[in-house]
Amino acid sequence: MRIAFALAAGALMLSLPLWANPGLVFIAGVTITGAVFALSWNLLFGFTGLASFGNAGFFTIGAYIAAVGLRADHGAWFLPLVGASALAGGAVAFIIGIVALRRSSGIHLAILTLALSEVLRVTVSHTAALGGNDGLPNIPRPRILGFDFGAGDRYYWLLCAACALLAAMLWWIVHSRFGRVLRSIRMDADRTRFIGVDVAAYRLGAFVVSGAVGSAVGALYAPWSQIVTPDLAHWIRSTQPILYALLGGASSFWGPVVGALAFSALDYATRTLVGLSEIVTGVVLLVVLMAAPDGLIGLWRRFAPKLSKSMTPAPRALSERGFAEKMS
Amino acid sequence: MAFAIINGLTTAMAVFLVAAGLTLMFGILRVLNFAHGAFFMIGAYVAWSLLGDAPDSLAAFIGGALGAAALVGALGLVVDQLVLRRLRHVDEHYMLIATFAVLLICVGVAKMIWGMDFHSADPPPFLDGGVAIAGLFLPKFSLFVIATGFVVFLALEIAIHRLWLGKMVTALAADGWMANLLGVNVPLGTTLSVVASFALAGLAGGLLLPNQALSPALGDTYLLLAFTAVIIGGLGNVRGAFIASILLGMIESFNALLLPNLPGLAVYLGMIAFLLLRPNGLFGASAS
Repeated sequence: MRIAFALAAGALMLSLPLWANPGLVFIAGVTITGAVFALSWNLLFGFTGLASFGNAGFFTIGAYIAAVGLRADHGAWFLPLVGASALAGGAVAFIIGIVALRRSSGIHLAILTLALSEVLRVTVSHTAALGGNDGLPNIPRPRILGFDFGAGDRYYWLLCAACALLAAMLWWIVHSRFGRVLRSIRMDADRTRFIGVDVAAYRLGAFVVSGAVGSAVGALYAPWSQIVTPDLAHWIRSTQPILYALLGGASSFWGPVVGALAFSALDYATRTLVGLSEIVTGVVLLVVLMAAPDGLIGLWRRFAPKLSKSMTPAPRALSERGFAEKMS
Repeated sequence: MAFAIINGLTTAMAVFLVAAGLTLMFGILRVLNFAHGAFFMIGAYVAWSLLGDAPDSLAAFIGGALGAAALVGALGLVVDQLVLRRLRHVDEHYMLIATFAVLLICVGVAKMIWGMDFHSADPPPFLDGGVAIAGLFLPKFSLFVIATGFVVFLALEIAIHRLWLGKMVTALAADGWMANLLGVNVPLGTTLSVVASFALAGLAGGLLLPNQALSPALGDTYLLLAFTAVIIGGLGNVRGAFIASILLGMIESFNALLLPNLPGLAVYLGMIAFLLLRPNGLFGASAS
């Protein structure tokens, strides 16, 4: 049943350019990058227990690397550019992580990461070579091995494929031995340390992976929006993956993706009335926090068995927070 | 130079007015309230609605700010009952995100009521213009902001350290369970401090209304600076926030003087250095 849903959603997203208007296709592309960005954030929050409020910084690093590369007519080298962005994001995350993760956690870490990404934003917005406050416009779409991704909706499918690949990679990481150690750190860091795990090293590892993926997604985003501005690093952007992950369910791997889709649909439906979209978003978020801390996926796990008793044998996941460790 | 110091002090006191409520809230609830900046913004809008573009007199202006404080304090009561109370025993991250949701709602409501256009208000006639002191031409309104900052600080100092109410709240912040055992009405005390924190945000909004571009995004800039002041000062410490605000105002002012190309950068660098070197802030109690 779940696989059927996933396939239907995938087919819907992939076929979008064939029947939807260009505006909707653009929003879908932004949503997909947002979803993978949220997955990379949730590797820290949902699986390692670290709340970063500055992940938009990584996104910005990747977006600017891709923007500069593409504008310098290196479109043929787009995929290596994405790889380079991932490396750069990972390296920055490593440096920050080595200093920050040892010294702070909780609210301090949240504010520290927020301040770091603000430093990036202020610096970029005053760097003339990066377009200052106006950013870099007119980013051409890549042209790989003579195949022009600028024509039609070709880049949309490249975006889908690349994001699917990144998501698969994250899924694999979460479900590997490394991911299981991260989860045990989130549940109880002291006990994990006690059984001989180098907690700091694993946290740093998760931070680096999150930074690298966030930066790669940023690089994929640049040619899709065709403009990058310093506002990408604004702290409001850092809260976006948080919204997605909590709305969908932070304790489930696919939660952030579900949240991104639901959130974009909500945003699209309320876009016409000034102010309404913020109110709806805020109220939905509050209701989710108070009534369903495991997000939409948690709700689904609670109520789906009741709706289709004949199909699912037992109501297995009455997910209390912290116990919802059954990954989808 | 002297001008930079006055400028810095003006920024400092403006930041302190916002940070005071923020740090009070953290002291009691252990919550860093993202929505504080939004309630500051609402306070400014309320004062503007009461006074219009040009307040008639100093008394009307202060009355407008007090009105904003009362209304935002009442809003605080609503938020406390509807949201904060229900999430009191939840993980701090969820609380942080809940206040962010409140922030979103506030910004949306402000956009709906007051629209997206920028508004501005003049200082009241008494505070318009400037005075010449020792050969320096100083805007009266800056001096007023500095004076207000000191007055609010002294009032809080007295309320917290000298009055019975403040002692009750301090006891409650230190150990709610024990305070309860000793007969302190904990829910009442908590609610009162939350309302006081919101009222301070409203008051700051009303007092800092003149010379601002009033827009739904007004809260953002002040919120980040106030966060910085609260953290450098040691979370939950009013005295620390006061000194940290002065420090920040000076950093900001000299940043504008020495690095005019990168406004606002030094403050963040200072905050990062502080978080790494002294994570508990100037006067923060060491984490137990």
